[in-house]
Amino acid sequence: MRLNGNRRRVVITGVGVITPLGDDPVTLHGALCEGHSALHEMENLPDGSLPPTLAGELRWFDPRAYLAKGNLRPLDRTAQLCASAAGLALEASGWDAERIAADEVGLVLGTMFGSMRTISEFDCRAVVDGPSYAKPMHFANTVINAAAGQTAIWHGLRGINATISGGTVSGLQAIAYAVDLIRCGRARALLAGGAEELCFETLYGFHQAGLLGGSAGGGEARPVPLDRGRNGFALGEAAALLMLEDAESALARGARILAEVSGHGAGFDLSRGSDPRQGEEAVAQALAGALADAGSSATGVDAAVLSANGSVGGDRAEALGLERVWNGGSGELPVTAPKSMLGESLGASGALQVVVVIEAMRSGLLPGIHGLAEVEDGLPLRQATPESRPVEIERGLAVANGLAGKSCAVTVETWAS
Amino acid sequence: MNTQEIRDKVKEIIADVAGIDPGEIGDDAHFFNDLDLDSLALLEMGVDVDYAFKLGAPDEELKELRTLPDAVALVESYLARKAGESRVA
Amino acid sequence: MSARVVVTGFGLVTPLGAGSHEIWERLLAGECGTRRVASFDPESYGVDQGGEVTDFAPGAYFRTLDPNSVGRATQLAVAATRLALDDAALELSTLEPARVGVAMGTTSGEAREVEAFDDHLIDGRRSPAPTEFVRRYPCNLIPELIATELGVTGPNLMVPAACAAGTYAIANALDSLRDGRADVMVAGGADCFSRITYAGFARVGAVAPERCQPFDRGRKGMIPAEGAGVLVLETLDAARHRGARIYAEIAGYGLACDAHHMTAAHPQADGAVRAMSAALAESGMSTDEIGYVSAHGTGTPTNDRLEAMAVRRVFNGRGRSVPISSIKSMIGHTMGAASAIEAAVCSLAVAEDRVPPTIHFEQPDPECDLDCVPNRAREVRVGAAMNNSYAFGGYNASMIFRSCAS
Repeated sequence: MRLNGNRRRVVITGVGVITPLGDDPVTLHGALCEGHSALHEMENLPDGSLPPTLAGELRWFDPRAYLAKGNLRPLDRTAQLCASAAGLALEASGWDAERIAADEVGLVLGTMFGSMRTISEFDCRAVVDGPSYAKPMHFANTVINAAAGQTAIWHGLRGINATISGGTVSGLQAIAYAVDLIRCGRARALLAGGAEELCFETLYGFHQAGLLGGSAGGGEARPVPLDRGRNGFALGEAAALLMLEDAESALARGARILAEVSGHGAGFDLSRGSDPRQGEEAVAQALAGALADAGSSATGVDAAVLSANGSVGGDRAEALGLERVWNGGSGELPVTAPKSMLGESLGASGALQVVVVIEAMRSGLLPGIHGLAEVEDGLPLRQATPESRPVEIERGLAVANGLAGKSCAVTVETWAS
Repeated sequence: MNTQEIRDKVKEIIADVAGIDPGEIGDDAHFFNDLDLDSLALLEMGVDVDYAFKLGAPDEELKELRTLPDAVALVESYLARKAGESRVA
Repeated sequence: MSARVVVTGFGLVTPLGAGSHEIWERLLAGECGTRRVASFDPESYGVDQGGEVTDFAPGAYFRTLDPNSVGRATQLAVAATRLALDDAALELSTLEPARVGVAMGTTSGEAREVEAFDDHLIDGRRSPAPTEFVRRYPCNLIPELIATELGVTGPNLMVPAACAAGTYAIANALDSLRDGRADVMVAGGADCFSRITYAGFARVGAVAPERCQPFDRGRKGMIPAEGAGVLVLETLDAARHRGARIYAEIAGYGLACDAHHMTAAHPQADGAVRAMSAALAESGMSTDEIGYVSAHGTGTPTNDRLEAMAVRRVFNGRGRSVPISSIKSMIGHTMGAASAIEAAVCSLAVAEDRVPPTIHFEQPDPECDLDCVPNRAREVRVGAAMNNSYAFGGYNASMIFRSCAS
């Protein structure tokens, strides 16, 4: 039973992804199910700056393949990733240029850093060569909302344009924010998701903080979600955007509906990662909120795509938070963690998880957790497996547990009018 | 550096800012009419030209540039002035 | 019928000092808080004026966190939050922590943390590595650390929407309260003074050499500044129930994107007109009912001209007579904080029927044919106030505050 029977329903009418494992959801899902990992030793690092580092680099990306006409120079890499994914999502959902021009399509982008590379390069040039040699076009992109703004310009998106920064929770938070805007009638069509570039600056920052696989205590990186031998995550790079629409207007324009976003919830850990119990409670708060919003019980969820990325405390909090809400039943819930193959793509990751839910729902196949040897003792997720397996999903869940404090969960279900 | 070399270097900079191939830029190209640059891109080009040749030209002069010949002439006049200064020194 | 939402407290940290009503009085008095930049040597920038928050002691506002463990934007934001809660006379311990949320906006977040990081790269990584960088820099920390400082676990959002970010955050807080996701929201914006922002605005020739003179014919630009503005928002019912002082009700808002240029406004002010119109439509109000407009009013030749055009397009004949002022003439452009500070100004204008001036005004500009409340504050029946803010990315945000007295 829905708690709020007459509110607007929000549906997904198209998906655009740019990932190291492919630029369409079917290819991405296929690669994940076959256990293809995008994690390789990072190339072209400045000499002596970092030890060999695993990362999910997007090596093949050519923005021209997606953004055919126009000057690409004003767009930095984050903006190019975002605008490319936006183009794919618009195309997939049947929003052509004419339809876009006649309406107000918006964009809600989750990103942790915007472009750290742009900001840092702008600053370094102004410091080293003097402020008179600061780059004007780079300056325009130093604001954290630059990628969203540039994407709006590229595609002519005149509706609400917003950026949400919530660390690794950004992508799911952006989706939740967009859902709320549509529910309260402020928008009818919003692209929502996330984008994050991989650059030396962020890699160096995370390495110095000891958060990357192996970077805290040396040793070989094992960024394997939930695995007993995990020792930190690997960074990744991607963009993923969903076209979210008010169900009524989507139906009225004859759109193909992929799924419904039926609920979302959020939680906050006041200890910001220092007290495991509070961390679990925050995840539980987010999950319970999403289930209540969707009018579902825990048993009404058929599979969960986790944000677990190989970080020791974060993965544990997520698993045990799930167990709190599932009340002893999380061992029966099919789960997966695509960061085992894609790495932690920060602001993009939550939206990628939702894409995995949608594709698993469509295909009946849930990807495995690549490299998983043995789930950590004490984590009850018995259905976490290294290989893909068949699942029948009517209602799936994506959950994100932030680096320090924030949690978010989103439920996605098959569309039934 | 002769005029041709200066022009080629300036074309390279403009091409980067405009996101086109240097070969697409005519010797008389107008930045707004032919290349569709906006004022931000124009300033970016001015900064890059100044940086490449280490001119130290004031913004007022960089902002007035409208065509490729304008930019080449600006570079030449500053380089000539600098050469003069170094001879004096 | 969703709940009505009201402003019951405000805290400001500005180049005119940190406080609530005392800062409002300084704005009404037309004081100027911009001066020569002191946090770095501005010699090489070609301009030297800035709006820095001086004599700021963050320790006075922190009860839970160590102020040295957080970046400057967070310090400013926490200070504004504490000031706002004090002004609202709201005792958080009486509330369920999960029912109190935080929404904040920013342009650049903790830019000084990037500067320190860059200094390390520039010196060839010989200086000690910035091990705390990813724990101090990301802008999502601003609302997260406010929540930690306050001990609240409700909705928590960072919406970096550049110079319209404060309005974006307040707008989200409004929707959260209306939808029943929280009982109290603290919402606003914060940015710290940064060499990055300063170099950028100086490089594009947008910084005024001496003074910020919005709508003046001789205006020469904006003055980068830092600060934080935070409002306490709650439902009208809850505010009345606890006997709170109510400044204004938030009647509606509009957000629109030009999709035209990253830094230049649309030549016909398309997005600005749509944002104002949407705010009016949601409020169910006509422009005749708007007694004051807080302008974006940066003081750059182009912004002010296009903003005047937008106001004329929406207000028609009344565009010339509605009082419209820019406090940026006094405190400079506080970036992500600006629209939040201006939201407080609108709330106070509605509550007290007083509007702050645009100072440094000398010569009218025919292209800015507005009543910009030149140089002196004015007592005038306000009733409702509109806050307009614009930002990089082609962002336009308008919000309407109206009297709750009736």
